[in-house]
Amino acid sequence: MTKIHHLLLGALLAGLVPLSAAPQHDLYIAGGISKNYVIGSKIVTTSGLFLRTPEGELKPLGYNDASIVALAFDPRDSRVFYTGALNGVWRTFDGGASWRITTGWDETEARDVCVDPNAPDHVYAAITDGVITSHDRAQTWARLEKGLPARGKYTQTVEVDRTKAGRVFAGCEVGIFLTEDGAQNWRCVFPTKRMVSDIQQSPHDPKFWVATTQENGALLSHDGGLTWQVAKGVPTEKTIYNVAFDPTNAKRIALGSWTYGVLVSEDGGATWTARNDGLPGARAGWREGIDPGAHSVWRVGIDPDNGRLYASVTEEALYTSDDFGRTWKKAGLEGSVISRFVWITRAAK
Amino acid sequence: MNLRSLSCAALLSLAAIVPLRAQPSFAGPMPSRAVVEGADQRRREYLDRIHEVLAWRAAQPVVPTATDPAPVDMAAICSRLALRQDAARNSRDVIKYMQDPGSGPFWMFPVVCAAYLGRDQLTPEAQKSIRDAWRSQMQVRGDTENHWVMYYSSLYLMSDLYPGEPGTAWYNGKSSTENLNESQEWLLQWMDLSTTVGQGEFNPTHYIGEYMIPLTMLATWSKDPAMRQRAHIMIDWILADFASNTLHGYLRGANSRSDDNSVLERWNALSSFFSWICFGQTPPTAGYGGWGIYYAAIAENYTVPEVIYRIAMDRGGDFEQHNLKRTRRRWRYSDVLFAPVYKTDYIRDTYAVGSNQGGALDSIQAHIWDVTWDVPDPRGVHNTMFSLHPYSSGAALQMYFVAYPEPWIKGVTFEGKPSYDSADKILGPSPYEQVYQNLDTVIALYDIPPDTRFPHINGFFSKDLKNVTEDKSGWIFAQGGQTFLAYRPLAGYEWQEYVGYATLWVPERGKGKGDRILQSPHLKNGTIVQAAAASEFKDFAAFQAAIRALPLEFKLEPVPTVTMTTLRGQQVTVTYGQAPVVNGATLDYAKTWKLFEGPYLNAEKGSRRLVITHGKLERILDLNTLTISDQIRE
Repeated sequence: MTKIHHLLLGALLAGLVPLSAAPQHDLYIAGGISKNYVIGSKIVTTSGLFLRTPEGELKPLGYNDASIVALAFDPRDSRVFYTGALNGVWRTFDGGASWRITTGWDETEARDVCVDPNAPDHVYAAITDGVITSHDRAQTWARLEKGLPARGKYTQTVEVDRTKAGRVFAGCEVGIFLTEDGAQNWRCVFPTKRMVSDIQQSPHDPKFWVATTQENGALLSHDGGLTWQVAKGVPTEKTIYNVAFDPTNAKRIALGSWTYGVLVSEDGGATWTARNDGLPGARAGWREGIDPGAHSVWRVGIDPDNGRLYASVTEEALYTSDDFGRTWKKAGLEGSVISRFVWITRAAK
Repeated sequence: MNLRSLSCAALLSLAAIVPLRAQPSFAGPMPSRAVVEGADQRRREYLDRIHEVLAWRAAQPVVPTATDPAPVDMAAICSRLALRQDAARNSRDVIKYMQDPGSGPFWMFPVVCAAYLGRDQLTPEAQKSIRDAWRSQMQVRGDTENHWVMYYSSLYLMSDLYPGEPGTAWYNGKSSTENLNESQEWLLQWMDLSTTVGQGEFNPTHYIGEYMIPLTMLATWSKDPAMRQRAHIMIDWILADFASNTLHGYLRGANSRSDDNSVLERWNALSSFFSWICFGQTPPTAGYGGWGIYYAAIAENYTVPEVIYRIAMDRGGDFEQHNLKRTRRRWRYSDVLFAPVYKTDYIRDTYAVGSNQGGALDSIQAHIWDVTWDVPDPRGVHNTMFSLHPYSSGAALQMYFVAYPEPWIKGVTFEGKPSYDSADKILGPSPYEQVYQNLDTVIALYDIPPDTRFPHINGFFSKDLKNVTEDKSGWIFAQGGQTFLAYRPLAGYEWQEYVGYATLWVPERGKGKGDRILQSPHLKNGTIVQAAAASEFKDFAAFQAAIRALPLEFKLEPVPTVTMTTLRGQQVTVTYGQAPVVNGATLDYAKTWKLFEGPYLNAEKGSRRLVITHGKLERILDLNTLTISDQIRE
């Protein structure tokens, strides 16, 4: 373990110790401290994946890569997981000790990856020019894109419906697309003006989905993603980056946005409120002079053990809130950008 | 994820920041422009220049840093390896360098260079340290065309050097065979794309090194003779394209990518290093452009073909060249993956005019058009004139990169593109610019939506212009070197001092040198520039009279349109949003433009075959048959 790792862990102890003594989930974080990194320079910080230990420390695992933006686990074995990064889709079978880039030159800059919980050999990845599908744990990939548009299929997010094998949503440049046969056929279920940035299924109600977009704000679906409605009260001018459901409270939902910061709903998406007091907020912020009115929130997540709300403020720090955004405190990972919070049930191991 | 994946101009410069101890040709007198007739003498002078670079770099003192009293760098190691100097030190330095390996293509190819140069010089321990780094250190592939050329050339050669090893022996978990195959697949499809529909990063002021160096490594060290030949063909192809685009050694517009300094001081770019080392007619830049060190380390393995040398050195007259290029990959918000770029160049002895059709070509660093005039010594001279609409857009960045729109519009200004979101910038494309060039006349029209971030156009007026005269006719006359220039703004304007942008090459900003911006705050707008050689007229007044006499009509509503007769007697009508009409015929770029068409370079679209000619000399590069054939034409 390097000196940097020790420094990180010390900082993390300040804010990531679980509220309850025995958390039921392991927290994995995908992100990094990429400040001043450009292609070709040395990666002088620890980046990539972190695993929270039972003691509340974050342990780096895997390869040092500031470009990891996605993470997905095999539900049968949490030592098997996949990352999406600039180089493509990576896979490990041994909990991050060894890795393989599973994609080739023509599948690049993976934006998201997901595993079908009902068919765990099936893996889907969102890439810059569509969706790729694997039926053999990412050993091989295929372009199963019938029904996706020839252009406009830049895909930022893929998410599997946990209730039915092969039912997958893809958030593309021009809308939300759905397959119900494992990517053999896709159809557009909601056209958007611009990119769909995230799609998530409620842990409480499998028919309830929320999507976030670049110019349509947030979208809600109460029929399993067949129809979608624009969420009232969520601004639409700028991008909403992601959505997180609170597994401890069916009414609580949070949105993360560069411009708007953290938006929350405590009534199942009927109304929304900005909760940014205590976040760095309208400040010099992410590099002096840039977008001074923005809150620079890159990602939000909610801890299934206690409902703690997490917000990654770009290249500032990780922040946490134990009152669903009413107050915030800095929780370490100074200078980081976090692209994924993933909690894995310990029983799944 | 806001991984900053665009910049390498800064990294280019990092390699160049070394003490300038007696860098002979950079600080010396201007090289001769005379053609060297004898092949042996050309070769000897080429090798002398190579030796100058290597000897200079190898002799640079070690400069302690705050954390390391004796830092090592790969450029020095490669220079000494190429000179076969100080073997023990090279091995020690390699081992130390590999203790803290970098990531990405800019780290990979110098290490490959050392690995091959050091095969018979480095100790087994030093070679092992390189090998181990390729197992333990993840390498980022990058996201631009030059990144991938460097990445896959490097991975190909390392897989070639260490064949038959399993996935566990490599950072990406793939075996030597898998890495070699994947690298070859990509390299072949890139070569195919570049020789059928055009190069994406065409005529870059700096990035030519990121093509020439990896390709020269491939042409030298690949075990597969077919790959060596392919790489050789591509080196000739790129160098011939480059040679035909230079004006006495310095590259002018249009460029797929440039930067805030070289777009005005045309000589000050890595491309000038390649003119110097290959042709010898212009000085190299400071530190030999940084990456030039690596080219020098392997350049002995390449012989500059005489036909390309003569295209660069011995024009013999004015010429017009039409070339087809393409944009880089458009991931989203575009109907096409690659958009065609139609280039026009008209080059004379004392000046050159170059352009493409304008529009949202590239995202940040494209330079769409200019007139560049020759000067006896280009160092420090801003010998160019052009206009543009300063445009910045999160959506435009999204087209080419996996970015969110909000952070990057300012974020890129920290990544070697400091002017990107500035009103006074003089670099970059705009979707609201349309350009037509006919020989030495350029008509640039602008139709800018009212809600656009910067609702004006900028015209660049160099400190080095003489006799700038705002004529009551509406033309602005000026003289640059032995070139007369007439600039016609189509709407009102005001003058601003241009204070420049800090780059690692030119670190000061805010110290005006006398350059000016003609800023015209009108959404419907335009610029006409007509150039001519001073020798064509009795005096400057005669040129002005000739320009005033040109038939010219224009209007700005509902869209800008210009109808004029050029100084060369061509009747042209250009209307924004429509195809230009030339002597009564509507111009169809898609049907008219070949891959290359001109007196020196000719290729059909889709052909993979380039015919390079100069006088009786002819070289044919054929990627279909993997042949390079030379002949003397009757």
